[in-house]
Amino acid sequence: MTLAYSLAVAILFGTGAYMLLKHDLIRVAAGVVLVSNAANLFIIAAGLSRGVVPILPIPGGERVADPVVQALVLTAIVISFGVTALLLSLIYRVYTTHLSLDLDDLSEADERDESEQELAQLTGRNVSRRAAP
Amino acid sequence: MLLVFPLAVTWLAAVILAVLDGRRERVGYVAVGALAASAIGLVALMVDILRDGVAQQVAGNWAYGVGIQLRADVLDVTFALLSVVVILVATVFEVLGRVRSRVFPALACFMATGLIGLSLTGDAFNFYVFFEIAMISAYVLAGYGERTRQLRAALIFIIVNLLGSVLFLIAIAGLYHLTGTLDMLEISRRIPVVNEQPSILLATMIFVAFAVKLGIFPFHFWLAAVYTGTRPAVAAMLSGALANIGSYGLLRFGATMPRELELGAPVLLTLGAASIIYGGFQAISCRSATEVLAYSSIGQVGYILIALGIGGHVGLVAAVLFSIVNSINKTLLFLAVPLRGWLVGAVMAIAAFSVAGVPPSSGFFGKMGVFRAAVADDQPLVIALIFIGSALSFIYMFQLYNGRFWDISAEETRDGVVPSVLARRGLVCLLAAFVIVIGVWPEPLLYLSEQAAYAIENPIQTEPIPDQLAGD
Repeated sequence: MTLAYSLAVAILFGTGAYMLLKHDLIRVAAGVVLVSNAANLFIIAAGLSRGVVPILPIPGGERVADPVVQALVLTAIVISFGVTALLLSLIYRVYTTHLSLDLDDLSEADERDESEQELAQLTGRNVSRRAAP
Repeated sequence: MLLVFPLAVTWLAAVILAVLDGRRERVGYVAVGALAASAIGLVALMVDILRDGVAQQVAGNWAYGVGIQLRADVLDVTFALLSVVVILVATVFEVLGRVRSRVFPALACFMATGLIGLSLTGDAFNFYVFFEIAMISAYVLAGYGERTRQLRAALIFIIVNLLGSVLFLIAIAGLYHLTGTLDMLEISRRIPVVNEQPSILLATMIFVAFAVKLGIFPFHFWLAAVYTGTRPAVAAMLSGALANIGSYGLLRFGATMPRELELGAPVLLTLGAASIIYGGFQAISCRSATEVLAYSSIGQVGYILIALGIGGHVGLVAAVLFSIVNSINKTLLFLAVPLRGWLVGAVMAIAAFSVAGVPPSSGFFGKMGVFRAAVADDQPLVIALIFIGSALSFIYMFQLYNGRFWDISAEETRDGVVPSVLARRGLVCLLAAFVIVIGVWPEPLLYLSEQAAYAIENPIQTEPIPDQLAGD
């Protein structure tokens, strides 16, 4: 069981980390989802124990399955859900402003922006220098 | 009551502000009021703790050992107060100009909530939850300007830091598996008896997670893009308050896992040295002011790592002291750089002196703390490094000053200078005056760092938590 869990976590994390390195933003988002779910699975794995359901009343003398990890993983799932939603909305905004989902396009647009600004500054400076007596 | 108040007031304010239009001045001042109330509450809590010792409480009337612990010692409250004050100053700065986004005041309060919460909690998983509250508000704030540059910065910021957070979460789950508890004091009690190999692995993951937040040398690549891409108030919040997660987290988890910290000391020293050198040279080679500051942040956090790596009482005092001083310096610099007009030059000069560590600025005592720790530990290489680092910071700060205020033609002609809002300049002047006051009268700050280091070394004795709940 432990081996199955660790293999699953390893594969999820590995795939996710690989996807994170891609240029395509949707793949990056998918990578984030995979990586955070690897973490969730790991939390469950951290409290693997056999026993009866931890709901009162507990039959006397029985071992109880660990309830803490369930609470932890629920919180972690909610958080990763929220962050994924935020990331996707940001990616959507990138798409609506640039009509592209490629990180390279984005950095090109950024450089274009900057060089335009520099040009504006440069010409503005020249004009003001000429205007100064 | 005192323990919950600072947290509750910002949290409530954040939830209420989230539905209001933050662009209105009045809404902005509500956020300022809530942050100020929280800061006052933290000061009261600090007075209380200095008098009566550690304050603690189990949330929600749960039995001890079952519910989430809130626990505050001097170190916790120092960092909570520092973060809230930085966010307060940055929010006032933004409100005095014009808030451009309707969510800004709410996000400032959420970030404060997260930062106070993670300082005051005694539970490792709760630490993660508050950490994420602070991080998520930072993710949104990083995209605050909505230009291509800021969007790209926000994307990089989210992706890199998300990976850091996931590593941290995995490490916490691992700690739970190893020790059977999430209470940090209890973990520190049980960790010495567990097997060394897994605990070193977990400590490394925790270190990487916080190193990403701090922007230490091999984990710095997101930092420059984000700090230069965002607005000054947001950059001040990120570098002055959010980066505290890194330094506070390293101190707190270092106290939880002292054996692992000691084993990692050579790594801390090496990475700290690499950060100082790399940040310094990169900053010298940069032209734009915010870029210089961004790389300077990478260099400055190196000192915190060095102080931690040296360890011992002097090392801890130096780490706390330097974190406080550095965070105030960075706030001042990021807020002052975009301003124009009378007095701004003086403020920049003070900030530059403080970063370089020239008396009578607060930076002098920060540097001196690290220097003293290096001398006490008899590490000539580290002493030399501190000198080199200071020289580098002196050069890039005055290059910055030179480019900004002497070589006016490079930026704009004198006639073209439009002075910034007077109130904003007043605020930075106040902050600069504070830097000088700390430098002239450093006793309170030294006392606080001394007490914080003492609190790390002598954790309070709580009754041990029974182990039968945890499955092993």
